[in-house]
Amino acid sequence: MSPINLSKWARLKSPWVLHFNSGACNACDIEVVALLTPRYDVERFGILLKGTPRHADILIATGPVTRQAALRLKRIYELMPEPKFVMAVGACASSGAPFKKCYNVLGGIDKVIPVDVYVPGCPPKPEAIIYGVTKLFEKIKGGS
Amino acid sequence: MKEIAIEEEIIGTLEGMLGESVLGSKSPRPRRVYIHVKPAAHKRAISALLQAFPSTIISTITGIDLGETIEINYHFWCGKAEVTIRTNLSKSKPEIETITDIVPGASLYEREVHDLLGVKFANHPNLTRLLLPESWPENSYPLRKDWNPKQTGEIHDSSEKTLTIGETRTESNGGSLVNVIVGPQHPALHEPERFLFKLDGEVVVDVEPRLGYAHRGIEKAAEHLMFFQDVHLVERVCGICNVAHTTCFCQAVEALGEIEIPSRAKYLRTIVHEFNRIHSHLLLLGIAGLEIGFESLFQYLWRDRETVLDLTEKLTGNRVMAEYSTIGGVRRDLTPILGDEIKKKLQKIRDRLSFYKEVFQSDPTIELRTKGIGVLSEEKALKLCVVGPVARGSGVKSDVRKHDPYAAYEDAPFKEILYKDGDSWSRFMVRLEEVGESIEIITWAVDNIPSGPYRIRVPRRMPRGESLSRVEAPRGELIHYVKGNGTAYPERVKIRSPTLANIISFREMIRGCYVADIPAVLASLDPCFSCTDRMVFVDEKNGRRWIWSMNDLKARRRDS
Amino acid sequence: MNPNIFFRILVFPGFLFLFVLILFCDWFERKIMARMQNRMGPSYTGPFGILQPLADYIKLLTKEDIIPHHARQFLFSLTPIISFSIFMLSIFCFPLDGINVFSNYGFEGDLLFVLALVTFAHFFLFLSGWSSSNPYSGIGAVRILMQFIGYDIPLIISAIGPAFLAGSLSLAKIASMQTIPFALLTPWTFILFLVALQAELEEDPFDVPHAETEIVAGYGTEFSGRKLAFIRLAKDTQIVFGAVLTATLFLGGPYGPVFSAPPSLWFTIYFVLKVLFVIALLEFVEAICARLRIDHVVRGNWRMITPAALLSVILTVLSAPYIRLFMGAPI
Repeated sequence: MSPINLSKWARLKSPWVLHFNSGACNACDIEVVALLTPRYDVERFGILLKGTPRHADILIATGPVTRQAALRLKRIYELMPEPKFVMAVGACASSGAPFKKCYNVLGGIDKVIPVDVYVPGCPPKPEAIIYGVTKLFEKIKGGS
Repeated sequence: MKEIAIEEEIIGTLEGMLGESVLGSKSPRPRRVYIHVKPAAHKRAISALLQAFPSTIISTITGIDLGETIEINYHFWCGKAEVTIRTNLSKSKPEIETITDIVPGASLYEREVHDLLGVKFANHPNLTRLLLPESWPENSYPLRKDWNPKQTGEIHDSSEKTLTIGETRTESNGGSLVNVIVGPQHPALHEPERFLFKLDGEVVVDVEPRLGYAHRGIEKAAEHLMFFQDVHLVERVCGICNVAHTTCFCQAVEALGEIEIPSRAKYLRTIVHEFNRIHSHLLLLGIAGLEIGFESLFQYLWRDRETVLDLTEKLTGNRVMAEYSTIGGVRRDLTPILGDEIKKKLQKIRDRLSFYKEVFQSDPTIELRTKGIGVLSEEKALKLCVVGPVARGSGVKSDVRKHDPYAAYEDAPFKEILYKDGDSWSRFMVRLEEVGESIEIITWAVDNIPSGPYRIRVPRRMPRGESLSRVEAPRGELIHYVKGNGTAYPERVKIRSPTLANIISFREMIRGCYVADIPAVLASLDPCFSCTDRMVFVDEKNGRRWIWSMNDLKARRRDS
Repeated sequence: MNPNIFFRILVFPGFLFLFVLILFCDWFERKIMARMQNRMGPSYTGPFGILQPLADYIKLLTKEDIIPHHARQFLFSLTPIISFSIFMLSIFCFPLDGINVFSNYGFEGDLLFVLALVTFAHFFLFLSGWSSSNPYSGIGAVRILMQFIGYDIPLIISAIGPAFLAGSLSLAKIASMQTIPFALLTPWTFILFLVALQAELEEDPFDVPHAETEIVAGYGTEFSGRKLAFIRLAKDTQIVFGAVLTATLFLGGPYGPVFSAPPSLWFTIYFVLKVLFVIALLEFVEAICARLRIDHVVRGNWRMITPAALLSVILTVLSAPYIRLFMGAPI
């Protein structure tokens, strides 16, 4: 296996995740946390939930990004080491809906940081989030 | 009928004590009383109420922009009925005396009205922003009708650097203290909030909340959507207790429009409401396990929680966001086959409950981390007006299902769970036992559900008027106050979620505890910040006062 | 100089063999923890997920390595590697396949040598947290030191028990004197040793330095990329070291019945099995306990564990003649 393929294999097999809530209603967040529980158990795929951006490869962000949370979100993204990826989970994270026009909301994760995968739903079922992760893997495999 | 007598009794008592100050009073529904007093007489009225009914607790304070005036409504639960004392202020100079000296629990509500409507509460100990970010421009009050969105500028960084929020104490402390900031991104918090703790070594001396990370401006948005659409908006106030919000809102609108929903709908609402409660409590207990380092407990509890989510999905179509209640009833019906399945699966959870009770009662590590920690005495609980399992864990009777019944709770057989000690352990046990009670209620409801329609058509326009609806959300008393103006759009929607009522008590609980206890005590409080929309550590090092924000930490750690 | 020695150090039973063992133990731990929690654990990376730790480390090596601006650069870069190296060196001193990596039976007193080495390694872990200049790392680093220094005492005291029974401070000798494992002859010392070891390894219920929900990730918070790989490797090596020490002192090390030549094969198999047994035991305890608070940990040490360790050694010394009779060794 050539070194590049080896590193890609490792990246696909060991994606560590950081979860950040930028002002969501919690529904998406509890579905993300549910991924760790026995029914879905994403540790099978090597996914571990980490507590610090320094250790994470994938940022799973939920919420429509309130103004207070926006700065934190940016900082966390900057703290993560390359190569890093971002998943926007939920309808709020993808576009801000239904809070799009609210005064304290920016409207979607991609207003602050670049997003690789959008997982719509309100909230998306854990199966949908796992599907989003596989889409991300395809993107990584495809060459990033 | 006994209930009407109580409302008239209340009105009679207050009018007797206040005499001329009362401008008007009414009681449109059982257990709801509205009293209009002259400006500046509100404090006397509230004192009178507290005198007449000593166990009164404040529910919330609603401010409404009525064009010329700003109306301030003080909502109290006096043990028998919800009493609203209201007064009007002129919009050009909205100032009013604070009531925090007689009702300490009103502190955050006054700050909220100040933040969003610009009302000045004279002599309030700490009248600062509650929900809006510090970078929000002055004199821009979103909940005013004449507010222009263009007034809000760009967000900038500088405002968060110096977090001296109203503290002027200068205690000199010889010991060196450590600054620990929890949030807004932190494994302990699944929601973004900032907590700043004042530490002395490893012991917490004080704490101040800084809310607003999840403040999305729902109350304002609700005014621009029709009542039917608002049901969906209000549901997303909080994903975990979403059923409580829809139930409460639909009840408020139905009361406003004087709509009587069919009994079958009431029972169905009860069933889904209790499902929501079970799932929320199991969720919280699992998170509590995680906070004290007991990962296995978390995994076990959430696995059992999946059963409840499956049943919710079968009944409503969704695991988490039920989208079940609507104005006029519910959206889907319960089939007998599903009813049997519900009873069978809930029986399994009931058996697991005895296992969890044993774990909580006999595991020594849980005992070490939660017993005697984060104590809130009954007296303090009453003074700070806490609600829900936090109140019941301290021995305070506060269950809306029992004292102000709604939906099918009047006939449902269940107990109100009370524990006397007021520590974290009691609060967890209250929730654990409530899961058992919820299972009883659901089983009873499935067995006794009346036949008939489950939904009736209602008009889009709601008449002029107001209504106040209370439900027992998993975290405590949830209040929706809805004011109609004859159109299909509400004039005002006010939501007061239970965590806002309970967050003040965190200060009392955490004083004297170790830093390591913070996550566990916070978990026992079951804060739901997306419902609430704050905490500040104040740290002192060698007598000097300095505060680090997350920004400062990250700025110091900026990489090359 | 024996030309074989390079093979022994680098491949078997030295670096390569130990590296594979450490990775395998990491997988083993995760699987046991997952199973106890009704989950599957790593399953798809290689058969049964065995290659998962390898994938973790390779991925870490390919990540950007960030050195925070305010960290003490020199220490920050060096301490992970040094900690790992010292732990590895201390495992080299054990008779892994009958004789240790340096092709001899060690020397009298190498038990103490090994314990001293490990102290150094922990000190470097503390330095790694301290040099990160992040408050969370700092707190984690201080906790590590507090816990380690405290629990090192009952650990060493408990380790004296087997040394006394074997009449020697040499690891190889202690291991070979155990016709019946000391764990069965002096179970009280064994249990206390395990408790002290659990605290040294910072596993639940003594997980305080890593209290994720309190201080994010402890001393490893600021590390990323290669340095994080070494920090994790140091942590995993520490666990394997603990298991190896327990297996040597209490379970008879590599020695056991040999069925066919060469004996070193059988010795290695027994050793690995015993190490896995100890790890399984420690993981089991980790799964069923919550995390204690730092003051519980410290108080528990001085009030309960250390006095108990002293008592257990006294008990061992007093009952030594009878035990030695049992063992068939000279009194």
